[in-house]
Amino acid sequence: MDLVLQLLFTGIGIGAVYALVALGFVLIFRATNVVNFAQGEFSMVAAFIMVVFAVDLGWPYWLSFIVSLGGMALLGALFNLGVYYPLRNRSFLPVIIATIGASIFLANSVLALYGPQPQVLQGWFDTPGIQLGPVYLDSQYLLIIAVTIVLVAFQYWFFEHTLLGKKLQATSQDKEMASLIGIPVSAMIMLTFVYSALLGGIAGILVAPVLFVSIQMGATIALKAFAATIIGGFGDVAGAIIGGLALGVIETFGAAYISVPYKDGFAFLVLVAFLIFRPQGLFGERVAEKA
Amino acid sequence: MSLIALETLTVRYGEIEAVHGISLAVEAGEVVTLLGANGAGKSTTLRAISGLAKPASGDILFDGRSIAGLGPEAIVKLGIAHVPEGRRVFPGLTARENIMLGAANRGRLARRVLSDETDGMFDLFSDIRPFADALGWTLSGGQQQMVAVARGLMAKPRLLLLDEPSLGLAPVIVQKVFSIIAEIRRRGTTVLLVEQNARMALSVADRGYVLETGRLALSGKPEELWRNDDVRNAYLGGKAAKAV
Repeated sequence: MDLVLQLLFTGIGIGAVYALVALGFVLIFRATNVVNFAQGEFSMVAAFIMVVFAVDLGWPYWLSFIVSLGGMALLGALFNLGVYYPLRNRSFLPVIIATIGASIFLANSVLALYGPQPQVLQGWFDTPGIQLGPVYLDSQYLLIIAVTIVLVAFQYWFFEHTLLGKKLQATSQDKEMASLIGIPVSAMIMLTFVYSALLGGIAGILVAPVLFVSIQMGATIALKAFAATIIGGFGDVAGAIIGGLALGVIETFGAAYISVPYKDGFAFLVLVAFLIFRPQGLFGERVAEKA
Repeated sequence: MSLIALETLTVRYGEIEAVHGISLAVEAGEVVTLLGANGAGKSTTLRAISGLAKPASGDILFDGRSIAGLGPEAIVKLGIAHVPEGRRVFPGLTARENIMLGAANRGRLARRVLSDETDGMFDLFSDIRPFADALGWTLSGGQQQMVAVARGLMAKPRLLLLDEPSLGLAPVIVQKVFSIIAEIRRRGTTVLLVEQNARMALSVADRGYVLETGRLALSGKPEELWRNDDVRNAYLGGKAAKAV
C-alpha cells in the first residue's frame, strides 16, 4: 500500500508535466486546427536556456527562470510568424510538415550550439523533499504539481471569465465569424502560440531536474503529451489534463511492477489501445457540433 | 451621398466570376433587399462588402470612402455588421456570450455597459432570454438566427447586412424574424437584406434589386418588382437555375 501511494505521487508528478505540454498541443490545435509537432522542443529549448543561465553563467535561479520564460514568449511569437502565419491559408498538411521541420531545426540548433552531452539542472529547492507518513514527497515533484494546479486554475479563469478568453474561444471555433465581428484573429493566434510556448517551456524547466537536459527530451515529452491528448480526446482541455495525469501514473506503475526498461513503451501501448478501441478518447463524445 | 454604393463591382472565386460588374446604392435609413435564385451572387456581394471576399475590380464606397480591399476586422469597425448565411453562432459559447462578443468592434467598453446592452438585446429578442446561458450548438435554428442578429446589432452598425435570415426556419419563426427586421428599421439602422423569400423581403423593404447569375437584372419599389414577371422567374429560379 505504501508503495502504491508513493508511485501514485510520482506518477501524478510526471503526468503533470505531460498535461502541461498536452495543454499546449490542445490550445494550438483548437486555434489553428493544426497539431504543432514542435511543442516538445519548446520544453527542450527552455530547459537549455535554464542550463545556460543558471548553471553556466551562475545567475540566480529565479532570474534565469524569468529569462527563460521571456525567451519562450519570443520563440512562440517567432514560431507563429515563421512557421504558421505564412501557411495559414493552406490546408493543414503543409503546416504540420512545417512544424515537424521546425522541430528538427530547433533540436539541431541546440545541438550545434551546445553539443550532445546531457546536462544536469538542479531542482528549485535545496531540500530534497519531505516525509509524509509512508510517502516521501520529492520537492521537485511537489513543485511540478503545485505549478500545474495554479496554471490550470489560471487557464480556466482566463478562458471562462475574461472577455479576452471568450474572444480566443470564438476564434478557435470560427475564425471567419470572429473576424466579422471585429476580433483581431491574427493577434489571437499569436497570443495562443506565445501562451503555448510558455506552457511548454514551464513544463521543460520543471521536469529538467528530474530528467537529464538533453536534445532528445523534447521528442520524448512531446510523444507522451501527444498520447495524453489522444487518451483524453483530441482538442479537449480537461481531457488533456486527465490524459496526461493518467499516462504518468500508468507508466510509473508499469515501470515498478512490470518492467523498467519498457517504461516508455507503456505510454504507447495505452495509446495504441485507445486508438483501436476508443479513438475519440475519454472525452471525445462531448465534442459535439451541430451544423 | 449614399451610405453604401457599389460601383461596377466584380468578384471572382478562383476562376469563377460570381459577381459581374454590379452597381447599386443604399441610402441611410433604408431597408433594401437583394433578391435572386441560388448562385445569383447575392451572398458574394455581401461578402465583398464586409471584406470576406476581395473585389477583382470596381469599388465599394461606404459614406463616400472606398472600403474595397479592407479586411473584415477593419470594415466592421467602420460600422458595417454582417450576419452571414447559416447564422454562424459560436457553438461552444453561450447565447449571452455570443451576443456580447458582437461588440468586439467597438474597442474597450465598460463591463457594465456591455452587460446592460446585452440585456437590452434580450428585451428585443425576448424569445431567447430563457436560453441566455445555453451553448450555441444546443439552440434551435430560429433561436440561433435571433442570437446572430442580436450579435450583429451589438456592433452598433450603421449598415446591417443580413444574409438569408429566413433560411431553414419554420413559417411562424420567419414572421418573427421579419418583424424584428421591421423593428431594426424603425430604430434607424440601414439594412441590406439578401433573401430567397421574396414575398417576405419585399414586405419590409423600401426598394429591391434582383440579381441573375451575377448581374443586376432589375431594381425598383417592392410593388413594381412584385408585379414583374421577371422577378417571379428569378424568385422561382426560372432562368437563373438553368444558367447555373
